Amino acid sequence: MIQELHDKLINQEITATQLVEDYFKVIKEKDSKIQAFLTLTKTQALEEAKKVDEKINRGEKIGILEGIPYAIKDNILVKGVKTTAGSKILENYVASYDATVIKKLKDEGAILLGKTNQDEFAMGSSTENSGFFVTKNPWDLTRVPGGSSGGSAAAVSAQMCAFALGSDTGGSIRQPAAFCGIVGLKPSYGAVSRYGLISMASSLDIIGPLANSVEDAEIVFRIISGKDEMDSTSIDLSNSQNTEYSPARAGKIQNTKFGLPQEYFVKGLDKEIRDKIEAVIQKLQNQKIQITKKSLPSTPYALPCYYIIMPAEVSSNLARYDGIRYSPITNYPACAKPACRQGRALAGRQSPITNLYDLYFKTRGYGFGQEVRRRIILGTYVLSKGYYDAYYKKAQKVRRLIIEEFNKIFKDVNFLITPTTPTPAFKIGEKSTDPLSMYLSDVFTVAANISGLPAINLPIGFTKNNLPIGLQIIGPYGSDCSLLQIAKTIENIVKASL
Amino acid sequence: MDFTEINHLLELARLELSNEEKEKIAHDLAKILEYVNQLQEVKTDNLEPMAGGTFSKNILRDDEINSQKLNLEKEGYFEVPPIFD
Repeated sequence: MIQELHDKLINQEITATQLVEDYFKVIKEKDSKIQAFLTLTKTQALEEAKKVDEKINRGEKIGILEGIPYAIKDNILVKGVKTTAGSKILENYVASYDATVIKKLKDEGAILLGKTNQDEFAMGSSTENSGFFVTKNPWDLTRVPGGSSGGSAAAVSAQMCAFALGSDTGGSIRQPAAFCGIVGLKPSYGAVSRYGLISMASSLDIIGPLANSVEDAEIVFRIISGKDEMDSTSIDLSNSQNTEYSPARAGKIQNTKFGLPQEYFVKGLDKEIRDKIEAVIQKLQNQKIQITKKSLPSTPYALPCYYIIMPAEVSSNLARYDGIRYSPITNYPACAKPACRQGRALAGRQSPITNLYDLYFKTRGYGFGQEVRRRIILGTYVLSKGYYDAYYKKAQKVRRLIIEEFNKIFKDVNFLITPTTPTPAFKIGEKSTDPLSMYLSDVFTVAANISGLPAINLPIGFTKNNLPIGLQIIGPYGSDCSLLQIAKTIENIVKASL
Repeated sequence: MDFTEINHLLELARLELSNEEKEKIAHDLAKILEYVNQLQEVKTDNLEPMAGGTFSKNILRDDEINSQKLNLEKEGYFEVPPIFD
């Protein structure tokens, strides 16, 4: 799709301005129902488009993303634009600098249309935990788009932008991509700079593209990835000494070996999803592609391991929010007047503020949403004296076990094929009262985050009720480029049979 | 988990909750902890804990002066935009 739009721009079949206007028209038509966007940046977008048009008119060469409209998850900083991470505690925060991914996209001339809705601080699997409103699934407005990058997934799926960026800590790109029927790439840990991404769990977070095709995801990934001196954990995948990146491996798909980890095809996996994946596997085998059943015995421990490590990092990362600067006073109870000062407002409560410490308790207690508070408390518990060894340290040991198992299996096979989600998109409200059932929607995606591995969601068809189904391919650490090549081939095989 | 324990955690995390929510959170935490306690069945005796998801070591740049950030002509001081007019 990006390539097509690019061709239209250089052949002057459409102007960048018209393209931007067209997308805003779709947004105007659809977004009142879907509610994917938190902020729109139309004025800036049209200014940028004008520049691109002038360049084309002058006969200058333009880059592949130049003039291409995109959307970005609201936990990624764009200078001068409101960046809330879906949280009331950052409701009035305007970013003072660009995230590295934004700088790279701006340098390429891509045009930002707006910032998309998400679960607060990326904590959730449905976008129901947004501090602002719930985004709906474009395929069925009574269902969730997935999360936490639900706004980005819905925006791409409903053609309200050409591509979007999201962040993935436990499945937050792949799971919404699966629910909305699009491609979502979670790159290897460190392959994309996290500078300017609002931290959730720093050892798990990664930024990646959500797109209409693998080719689009690849175009975007090539531009946003790379070593960044502002993120000391970032890596350069083109340096094969550091990683297992091997373009040769992606050559002929019949020479590539795939594994099916049996632990991903268990009770609880929706029958329609299982059938669809088995049908795809059959098609691949018909093309003489080698697929063998494999075992990753520690798989059932990935999710419990994640639910110790992630909240521990969350409790630490979110300690920085005091709720004083960017959170409007009206969010707190006992205050009717927006203009009244923080102290006076909260003093009206049963326990008046007497010192700064008291203020923190209230601003944090009322500024964060329920799920965020729950994870901060859980994280505080697993890190606290007397419980650290039994929970946090234990989980970090299990993490090694899971990583070692992946390393071992990747000596036998090049890639793993699994379902992305255990069920298709669920109803709004269906899981919001039971946190554990919500957590289980990430059961197939968290292992890649725990192990830093690249993984991609490919749409492979629909259920009887017309809900998208996703297939996940997981590769060895640093194999992002070959993973994308392989995914393209599989995408073509799946498309040819639809 | 009882209220004393919840209150202690809230103290550490600097959060105020209503009594109603304390009850709900105690209930939720009990369920989540029961779930994550599955890890206790895993044998991890000879395993070193990880500190992250990869085996990458510290990646350090050379200790060179960035002339954009440090102007040596001004006696090696850092130059920052003026704060007061």
